[in-house]
Amino acid sequence: MELTTNKDGAKLTISVNGEVNTMTAPELSALLKKELPGVQELTLDFAKCDYVSSAGLRVLLNTYKQMRSAGGTMQLVNVDESIMDVLQNTGLDAVFGL
Amino acid sequence: MDDEQVLRIPAELERMDEVLDFTSKLIDAHGTTPLVRTQLRMAMEELYVNIAHYAYPESGGWAEIRGSIKDGVATFRLIDGGIPFDPLAKPDPDVTLSGEEREIGGLGIYLVKSTMDEVEYEYRDGCNQLTIRKRIA
Repeated sequence: MELTTNKDGAKLTISVNGEVNTMTAPELSALLKKELPGVQELTLDFAKCDYVSSAGLRVLLNTYKQMRSAGGTMQLVNVDESIMDVLQNTGLDAVFGL
Repeated sequence: MDDEQVLRIPAELERMDEVLDFTSKLIDAHGTTPLVRTQLRMAMEELYVNIAHYAYPESGGWAEIRGSIKDGVATFRLIDGGIPFDPLAKPDPDVTLSGEEREIGGLGIYLVKSTMDEVEYEYRDGCNQLTIRKRIA
């Protein structure tokens, strides 16, 4: 998995390239922990990702809670069928406003 | 292809990629949709990670993965000799709660239950045996 970061003031976009699974989710979590302070608008771009397991969902849910409590927003974009299936099955599509 | 394939490895988290490769190879030899392929790989990840994390609290142990495809149905069985543990016995998380109320854990096994056609657990011959079945064609 490769993560590309684009930061513009309080806006942060992270593009995910590869699979977010048990082994790679900690990398995403660590990057978010480092980059999130001061961010009000977070966008996660999944154009090059088609696999997010429950380890990845935990990171997303944690991050969502963090953004909400800081008064910010989190948006998931370019979500493909496989990721949408996981989000729908866990009811997280509604939580993340998809 | 209906011959059963077997993978036996130390039950370590670092071996997860081998489990996913084993799963992919078996499915890809038969062919299915990208969605079903991902659902099966994800189910195997969740179940294997459970074994690697919890089956052997004292010391290391082994895990055996058996997979076959017959009449368009993929069957995978994960076996370990660790402490008896039925991951299916845990109550399902409430997936209708709001983001703030949602618990961080418990989604993995729930995903397996909701995406597979059949999920069975049994403790037999001193081993945990978890079987999943999914129609792939």
